[in-house]
Amino acid sequence: MKLSNILGLNARTQLYTYRYNSRRSKNIADSKIQTARVLRTAGVANPKIYKKFRRAEDIYDFDWESLPDKFALKPSRGLGGEGIIVVKKRLKNGNWLTTQKKRISVDDLKLHTSDILEGAYSMGNIPDVAFIQEYVGRHKVFRRWAYRGTPDIRIIVFNKIPVLAMLRLPTRQSGGRANLHQGAIGVGMDIGTGTTTRAIWGGEQIVFKPDTKYKLRGIKVPMWNRILDTAVRASIASGLGYCGVDMVLHPDKGPMVLELNAQPGLQIQLANGVGLKRRLERVDELEVRDSEHGVAIAKALFTSHALPQRFEEVIKIKAVEEIRIKSSEGKKKKVTAKIDTGAWSSAIDKKFAKALGILTKDKILWYKDKLSSLGKESRPVIPVILWLGGKKIKTNMTVADRKLLRYDVLIGRIDLGGFLVSPEIDKKDLVKAKW
Amino acid sequence: MLQNFSGPIRLAIEKAIGAGVPANTIVLLLLLPIVAFVIAFSRNVVGIRGFGIFLPAALAVAFVATGPVAGIGLFLVIVIVSTVVRLTLRKFKLKLQYLPRMALILWAAVLGVLGSLFLVPLDVSIFAVLILILLTEDFTRVQIGKSVKTALSLTMETLILALISYFFLTLELLQNFVLANPEISLLAVGILDFLLAKYSGLRLMEIYRFRKLVSSK
Repeated sequence: MKLSNILGLNARTQLYTYRYNSRRSKNIADSKIQTARVLRTAGVANPKIYKKFRRAEDIYDFDWESLPDKFALKPSRGLGGEGIIVVKKRLKNGNWLTTQKKRISVDDLKLHTSDILEGAYSMGNIPDVAFIQEYVGRHKVFRRWAYRGTPDIRIIVFNKIPVLAMLRLPTRQSGGRANLHQGAIGVGMDIGTGTTTRAIWGGEQIVFKPDTKYKLRGIKVPMWNRILDTAVRASIASGLGYCGVDMVLHPDKGPMVLELNAQPGLQIQLANGVGLKRRLERVDELEVRDSEHGVAIAKALFTSHALPQRFEEVIKIKAVEEIRIKSSEGKKKKVTAKIDTGAWSSAIDKKFAKALGILTKDKILWYKDKLSSLGKESRPVIPVILWLGGKKIKTNMTVADRKLLRYDVLIGRIDLGGFLVSPEIDKKDLVKAKW
Repeated sequence: MLQNFSGPIRLAIEKAIGAGVPANTIVLLLLLPIVAFVIAFSRNVVGIRGFGIFLPAALAVAFVATGPVAGIGLFLVIVIVSTVVRLTLRKFKLKLQYLPRMALILWAAVLGVLGSLFLVPLDVSIFAVLILILLTEDFTRVQIGKSVKTALSLTMETLILALISYFFLTLELLQNFVLANPEISLLAVGILDFLLAKYSGLRLMEIYRFRKLVSSK
């Protein structure tokens, strides 16, 4: 990888956070209470807040016995996950048990709350607000991989597009907390499928969860589309153009936003083995309509296209093949396509795509500038699902006016992994030139 | 060098020195922007973090007054004493208000410095000692909310930055140059500051941090 693909602190601050995050949006991100308010207004799921403590009197006026068995007590402007108490169970004597297996009484909670109000956990010891929040348990898919606490998913969203994601698994060393600096595992994720790819722990790459035989790659996170969509909607709601969205997966209610970071850390690059700067530059000037569009672009651009080392079997095809393309109604439409190993990306005829219903305004991912003998032309790119030689392929195609060309569809190298192309063409597939 | 060139600032300096302003003060003042640039450069291009820009610069000036060895010694005494006091207060869950707590830490720092001066008699001016003691507050403030490990490495990096700055402050060649060419040095540092602010590339230490990314494919 080139050095210029990696995002450093200088570039993050100067090129992204300064430029794309307004002061107002930074203030929202710095306060969990404000974040919750903004998300609620925008209808983005986040854990319920049961009670806020703004002044010392609030602590004494509150009926602590009315608290549920499970909840989290947090400072609004805490740094790096400090000052958070999570209780999971109520004991018979009225005390609670924290996720770190410590016993805690009402008096302990009151003392901790007043510490928070005095600013013990905020930047520069500024007086803070404490709140009690709904407890979000661990989804069952993470049972084997997470130690005690709830894992969270960090997603970097830029220009309404999720560009990089990381699953953070609490470990024994991190005391059940999902913070990399405290010893949690950072697991890189494939944006396209929501499957984990590789992992780092304490700066070193690892394959298994420490002290076990559980592989860290290949974990499939459920509800991935909703997770990505929620992250993008959170970034839109807060007005942060570049941010890290921390999400948890509620076992029943699905993805929720825990907090927003206006200056997300750079370790996510090591966990993924991916340079962030290149991805940010790739999506910088795209026009994104809404969260759905942003997620579609991310899936089109950042699904790992890494070809498997060995193909189960090589599929033999000819230079012109009959393929099937999925229409907007889900029907498979037959068409003969030119297999072109001299082209990188695949292309489809405008009229044909329109007839299939897959070329509509809301389906266009982005526009690609093409220089030709006719001058500069802006061609739309759309997602296409096709079957070639019995194999299903999800890809993107450039839409072009091909009415003067022999074939409505051209398949380029990007979609030809695992195929062996023979130069011959079946007579029935041969199309005469149209001019 | 440009010995013949006498700009307005140089003339003013000559006049001021003639009127009794100590040359030393003027040299240190002229060197301060250079030191500030060096510290900013170390952070944004090399990647040494340290506690901001004021702390290492003030430390370096204190080192000039006390000599580096005595300076580092006193500095370490103060850091250790204030950290121990802070951790003790935390350990016994003594909840003290901020200002009285700082006053207590300052009290302990003075005891520590007094003790060291009794043990090793040094010829140090009160201003250098005062700077060192006042730095305690900044250290304590930064340490709160960060883990002991990061606080320690930040302290070490601050010390390194202060020593680099000290080196520039005491470089005779540089001293003579800024005194002879104050216009050039001030202008050049201003331009360099501006260029540095525009630098958005990787820091040297980040290249090390991300070395595995670079070496992969």
